[in-house]
Parts: sequence; C-alpha cells; structure tokens
Amino acid sequence: MSTDDATTLDTTVLAALLDSVGGDAVFVADLVETYLADGTDQLAEIDAAVRSGDAEALVRPAHTLKSSSRTVGANHLGELGRQIEMLGRSGSTTGADALAAAARAEFSDIEAALRAWLSGGATT
Amino acid sequence: MKATFPTDHARQVGRVLVADDSAVNRKLLVQLLSRLGLQSIEVEDGAAALAVLRAEGPAGIDVVLLDVVMPGLDGYETLAAIKDDETLRDLPVIMVSGVDELDSVVRCIEMGATDYLSKPLNPQILGARINASLAAKRLRDLDKEYLERQTALTATIERQREELSRFLSPQVAALVSSPEGEQLLAGHRRQITAVFCDLRGFTAFAETAEPEELFGVLRDYHEAMGALIVEHGGTLEHFAGDGIMIFFNDPVLQPDHVERAVRMAVAMRERFADLAVRWRKLGYELAFGVGIAVGYATLGRIGFDGRFDYGAIGNAVILASRLSSEAKGGQILLSQRAYAAVEEIVEATSVGELALKGFSRPVPAVDVIALRNAAGVALT
Repeated sequence: MSTDDATTLDTTVLAALLDSVGGDAVFVADLVETYLADGTDQLAEIDAAVRSGDAEALVRPAHTLKSSSRTVGANHLGELGRQIEMLGRSGSTTGADALAAAARAEFSDIEAALRAWLSGGATT
Repeated sequence: MKATFPTDHARQVGRVLVADDSAVNRKLLVQLLSRLGLQSIEVEDGAAALAVLRAEGPAGIDVVLLDVVMPGLDGYETLAAIKDDETLRDLPVIMVSGVDELDSVVRCIEMGATDYLSKPLNPQILGARINASLAAKRLRDLDKEYLERQTALTATIERQREELSRFLSPQVAALVSSPEGEQLLAGHRRQITAVFCDLRGFTAFAETAEPEELFGVLRDYHEAMGALIVEHGGTLEHFAGDGIMIFFNDPVLQPDHVERAVRMAVAMRERFADLAVRWRKLGYELAFGVGIAVGYATLGRIGFDGRFDYGAIGNAVILASRLSSEAKGGQILLSQRAYAAVEEIVEATSVGELALKGFSRPVPAVDVIALRNAAGVALT
C-alpha cells in the first residue's frame, strides 16, 4: 500500500466534491461506495477483455473507470484508465495486461485511501 | 454546515436528462441538480437518452446534459440525432466533457450544443449554465405558445367571420371586421336604392297551409331570392316572412346602384315565375311584387345590446315599402327618381300617381316591363 503517496488520492478533489454538495458526508460516502463497487466490476471487465484479447471490449470499462476515478480524485487510476482506453481504441491489447495489473494495484490503494479519508472524519 | 451553493433564488423547476456512462458521475450530477431544485432522469448512453427524449417528447425535458465521450452512441452522435429531430431540435443541450476532451467541445457547439461544462463539475457554473438554458427554453416555449395562440385566434376570427356571414349579408359581415367598420356602424348618411319585395296572397296561404308547406315555400323562395341578392351585390337588411328588404350603395359604394336594384328585381321576377309554376300545380296561388325607390337614408347599427341589425332609415325606405304594397302580382314599381336613373335600360309603363300612406301628395310611379339590351331592344 502506498497511501503515503500524495498523488494517489487527491483529497482536494474530494474536499471540493464534499463542498459542492453542501457538506453532505452521507451522500459522498454513498458516492464512494458506488465508485468502489463499479470500479471492481470495470476492472473485472478489463481483465476479461485482456484474457480474451478483445481490444474493443477494453474501451467501455476503461473509459468509465477513467471518468469516475477523476471525479473522486483518483487521478493516477484515471490516467491508467485513459491509457487502457486508448489502447483499446487503437485495436490492440499489447501491454494491456501490465496496465490492467497496475490498475488493480492502484485500485486497492485507492480503496484503502478512500476508506481512510471517509473514516478520518472528512467532514470535520 | 453552511451550504456553499447559491440560495433559493437560483432554484428552478425543470427536468434535466443526464447522460453519462459513469454511475458515479450521474449520481453526482443528479445530486447537484436536485440541490438546484431540478428533477433528473439518468441514462448511461446516447441511445438511452434518445429513447427517453422520444418517449417524453419536447415538453417532458427542459435541458439535456450530455457526456461527450460515451461508449456506444457518443455525445456527438446523440447531439446530431437531437438536432435532426424536428420535435427535439430546440431542446438545450449542454455538453459535459473531461479535461482531455475540450477540443471536442468546439465541434459540439458548432453542431448546435447550447453550452458546455468541464469535469470536475463546479456547482456554481453548473447552476448558471442550467439556469441560462432554462431561461432560453422558457422564452422559446413562450414564443411558441404565443404563436400557437395567435394562430388559434386567427382561426377563431376567421371562423366567426364565416359564421357571421351566414347571419349577415356578406357586405355587413365584412364591414364588422373592417378597420372603418366602427365608424360606419355608428351611423352615416348616404344615398341608397331601397328595394322591398313580398308575396301577394301569402297571408291567405299562410292561414290555410300546413306549417311544413309554409316553410317549404319560404325556404325555396328565400333560397332563390337570396342567391340573386348576393349575385347583384345587394345588402340584405332583413327577411320578415315573405317580405324582403334590400338596399344598394351601402356599405359598399356602387355607382350603378339603381341599375343593380332594377336588374335584380327583374331577375327575381323571372325566378319567381319558375317557382310559381310548381306552386300553382300544388294549388298555391302566390304572386310577387316589388317597390324600388332612391334617396338619402341614415345607415348603421339599429337595435339594442343583444340584438342589433345593420339598417337603413329614411324616406326612400318608406317609399319603396309603400310601392311594394301597392304593386300588383308581377309588378316592379319604380319611384320617379329611380326611373330617371335607369330610363335608358328599362322598358316601363306609367301606373299614374299613387296615393300612398304617409305621403301627403300623390306619388308618380312606373312599372318595369322589361330590361333593354344595349341596342335599346326590350328583352323579354
């Protein structure tokens, strides 16, 4: 785990998010749970696409993962998602397995960081 | 905790369609919109967005928030489909794009998108853009509604005019809706030709005939005479049983008003002769008489609130009425002045001076035998 890496989870994005919904911590916690559940699914879809060598099937889950990750401040994971999406759009799966593995590792770091942020009394 | 979002004055009622493939982004947008007092419908791609728009119709959704890059039908294609659809074209579409997709926003604006928002979303900017779009749409809806109301109003006026023209003579119906109508209706003096005609023997017929027969005769008579009045441009003042009063030269000016009146009367007499043949076979003994006079009259709205007629009052009207009463079956009696105006085209015979009720001195009159053609030959 590399939760000490400041670039992994940009908590200023989360703080702004919390602020934008008027400090509704319950809503943000729920949003984070949605992100984690969907992210798990998207990573599984990416793995499946990599295993079957289906470049086109990489695009949708990678794009959505990128988009959602940026919203919660998981910028590095967003970047990995973008790279996988581009790869899929280029019609190739070469190197996709390494990117997918990196994304899985990053996701588990992000999950821990998000939970820490939530339990750390983010609204205080 | 203090809400940072603009206060209630920024709240709007409206429905927003949110299309984004990320459930996280949709959830956030819906929350932000709900804080603006807006309802949302969320879909995860362009195809679903179009399906909702087509199901809801243009009145069901006020603004569309469209993610530029979506798997499946993306923002461009969805935008193009909306702009292609006659009923959805005017709907405001705000594109939502990621930081690496800003180039595509230009293309979307060129394609007709109203505005754009970039992620991460700033709630103030979201609120401002949505409000601007809602205001623009409301204005456009008002415009459309105004246009529809205007069209409906025009149709109503047209229908009323048409309906009115069934009750009034066409000239009077046109007058009511014309710009100078009010002035003319208020009353004015003008020289007119007044025509009275009625049936001889009608009172006796009415006493003995069955109502169905009576109405049958009147219907045929009115129909035949009505057509001739319109054909000659006469203004029908009223029908009263078998009596008909028509005038010429008002409200539409007719330089040949006396001639028109005489030609109409002759045509009526001919038409009546056809009807009389049939009626005689049924045992109805009816004859037709006409009185025509020329003179000044006061014309305008006569009556009271709830029932007004466009009428004429004056000596010429009374004289025409008396001449009509005096006329024997088949006679068309002209006053001296009326005859003077049509001498050239009329074959007439004097009936001498008539003592008429209300006239202190005997009144000379002629009976029209026939019209002359251009060569001066009497037409029979």
